[in-house]
Amino acid sequence: MTINRSISLVLATCCALLFSQSPALALDGNEILRQVDRNMQPESYEMYRKLINIEPDGKKKEFVLYSVKKGSNKMVALFLDPASEKGRATLRLDDNMWLYIPNVGKPLRITSLQSVVGGVFNNSDLLRLDYSLEYDATEISEEDDSYLLTLKARTSSVAYDSLKMTVDKKTLLPTTIECFAASGMLIKTLRYSKIQDFGDGMVRPAQLETDSPLYKGYTSVMLWAKLTKKELDDEVFTLNYLSKVEELR
Amino acid sequence: MTLFHVNFPLTATLLTLLLLGHPIKTRGADEFSFDMTAFEKKALEWGGFAEVQIEHMDVGQDSAMARLNLYDQPRADLDRLSTALQLDGRYNRDITTFNWVVKATVQDDQLSWSDTLDLYEAVLELKPSSATSISAGKKSYKWGKGYAWNPAGFINRPKDANNPEEALEGYITAELDLIKSMSGPLRTLALTTVALPVWQGVNEDFGEENHINLAAMLYLLYRDTDIDLMLFEGESRSSRYGIDFSRNLASNFEIHGELAYTPELRQSFLQSDHTLASRERSALSTLLGIRYLTEGDLTAIIEYYHNGGGYTETELAQFLDLIQEGYSDFLNTGDASLLGLSEQVSQRGYGRPQPGRNYLYAKLTQKEPFDLLYISPGLTAIVNLDDQSWSLSPEVAYTGWTNWELRLRLSLSEGDALSEFGSKMFHNKAEMRLRYFF
Repeated sequence: MTINRSISLVLATCCALLFSQSPALALDGNEILRQVDRNMQPESYEMYRKLINIEPDGKKKEFVLYSVKKGSNKMVALFLDPASEKGRATLRLDDNMWLYIPNVGKPLRITSLQSVVGGVFNNSDLLRLDYSLEYDATEISEEDDSYLLTLKARTSSVAYDSLKMTVDKKTLLPTTIECFAASGMLIKTLRYSKIQDFGDGMVRPAQLETDSPLYKGYTSVMLWAKLTKKELDDEVFTLNYLSKVEELR
Repeated sequence: MTLFHVNFPLTATLLTLLLLGHPIKTRGADEFSFDMTAFEKKALEWGGFAEVQIEHMDVGQDSAMARLNLYDQPRADLDRLSTALQLDGRYNRDITTFNWVVKATVQDDQLSWSDTLDLYEAVLELKPSSATSISAGKKSYKWGKGYAWNPAGFINRPKDANNPEEALEGYITAELDLIKSMSGPLRTLALTTVALPVWQGVNEDFGEENHINLAAMLYLLYRDTDIDLMLFEGESRSSRYGIDFSRNLASNFEIHGELAYTPELRQSFLQSDHTLASRERSALSTLLGIRYLTEGDLTAIIEYYHNGGGYTETELAQFLDLIQEGYSDFLNTGDASLLGLSEQVSQRGYGRPQPGRNYLYAKLTQKEPFDLLYISPGLTAIVNLDDQSWSLSPEVAYTGWTNWELRLRLSLSEGDALSEFGSKMFHNKAEMRLRYFF
C-alpha cells in the first residue's frame, strides 16, 4: 500500500514537472482534438436536436431533428418538425452527403456548403463528423484556462479550410470555434454553452450558437436533448435505408 | 367570367389570415428551450398538405395544340382554380410498417370542372433486419440520378420537368431489398428486385396485359461515387438496361449521369400518308448533369438529355402539320376527322412531355438574395435543341411562415409554329400557389 502510494506520488510529480516545464513537448494538438471528439459524442449514439434560425427582427424558424451517428464518419439526420420538412432525411458517409425528400423519393447528392435548413448552419454543421477526422491540428497555444488550436482541413472537400478552436483545459470541451475559408475570410463563429450531464458519463454542451459576417444580424442556435448511446448496424447508413430512419426511434 | 371575382377575395383573406396568424416574435435573453414531449415516437404518424392554386393562361390561338384542343371552343385566355389535398402516413409496429399517400384534387376553369381521388402509395413492408426488407403494395419508384428526366428510371412514372419534386402515383409491386455495408473502396452494395404485374385492373397503364415483369437495381457506393445498374425484363414493355452515377467533385460541385439502352423499342409513328404505324428499333438515351453552388449561394442544376427513343424534329413537325391541316379542314368543311387522328397520334406518344430528341435543362435558384431570408427566386429553362424552341419559367418562393409555402411563377413558351414549345396550347401562364403543410 505504502509502496503503491509512493510510486503514484513519484509518477504524479514527474508528470507535473514535465507539463509545467515543457508544455510544447507535452501538448499534442491532435490528441486534444481526439479527446474533444470523445467528450462531445460517444462512438455510436442517437440524439434529438432543435435548430432555431433567428432573424434580425427576432422572428424565429425552428426545426427538430432526430439523428444517429456511428464511428467517426457515419451520420443520419431525420427532420421531425416542422410539418413542411417532416420525413426529410440527410445522410453523411465521410465526405459524401445525400438528402432524401419523401415526395422526390430518391436521395439527391448535396454538398457540405449548401444548407437544407437555411439560416447560418450549413449541411456540414448539421452532419458534423469528428473534428479529428476532418482536421489536423497544426498549431497549439495556451491561455490561462484554455488551449487554442489551429486546425487545417485534411482535404479540400471539407466545408471550412481552417478552424481556430478554443478548448477549455479543465473539461476538454470546445467553447468557441472560428471557421475560415481558404482565402482567410471568417465564415462563421460557433459558441458552445450550457454544459449538461446527458447521463452515461456524457457531459457536454447542450447549446451551440452561431453567427456569420455573411449573414449580418442573423443568428442560428442548436439545442441538444436525449443524447444516448445506441448500437446501430452499418446498413442504417445507406441510401436504401433513408426512407426508414423513423423506425429507429 | 366570375371565377376571379370569387378567387381574389379568397386569396386576400387567406393571406390576411396568414399574416395575422404569425405575429412577429421578439428575442429575449436566454429564451431557448427544447421540450421533447411533442416529438415522442408514435405508432401512427400522419401529415400532408393542402394547397390552392390560381392560374391565368394566355392561349396561343395560332398554335397547333390550341387548335387541337380548342378547335370547337376557341378562346383567348383561361383562368383556373385548383385545390389539392395530399395525405400521407405511416403505421409502424415491430418489423412491420404500412405507408400510404392519397391525393385529392379539384380543378375548375371556364372549359371544365374535374375532381380526382388517387391512391398514390399503399405499401406493407416487413423489415426483419436493417439489411433486408420485403414489401408489397402500391409504391412509387424514382430510379435514376437525373433531376428533370430519368431515362434509366424504367418503372418510374414520367415526371413533370417543371415540377420534378411532386409526388407521383406508384405501381402495384412486390419488392425485395438487400443491403450490405463494407469497409474499403466499395462501401455499400444494395440490390432492389421488383416484380411488377400487369393484369386487367392492375397497372393497366404500364403496358401490355397478362404479364409479370421484373425490374432490378444494383446500387454501389464505390470510391465515393454512387453507381446504379438497372434492368427491366418483361413482356409488357420491351427489355431495357441502364446505368447511372453521381459524385461530388468538390464541396460545392456535383456531377451525375444516366445511360439507358433499349435494344428493341416498340414505337408508334406517323407516316407521310397520315396513317399510324408501328416500328421497332434500338434506342440509346443519355443524360449528363451538374449541380453547382456559387459563393453567392446561387444553385445551378444543368442537364443535357438525349432521348434516343424520341421523335426527330421532322417527325414532330409532321405531327404538328397534321394538326394545322386538320384545323383547316375543320374550318373549311366542318370535318374534324384529321383532328381526331391528330388526337390519336398525340396519345400514342407525340403528345407526351418532351417527345423530341435533344434537350437542355437549367434551373437556377438564388437563396435569400439581398439578405431577404426565406425568399428564393429561381429560373427554369427547358430548350429543345433540335428545333430551338424553349420555355422559361421565372419564379419566387417564400417559406418564411412556418408550414406555409407561397410560390409565384410565370411560364413563357417560344418557338416556330412547327416547333415543340412554339406549338404549346398556352404561350404564357401566371400562377400563384399557396401550400399549407400539416
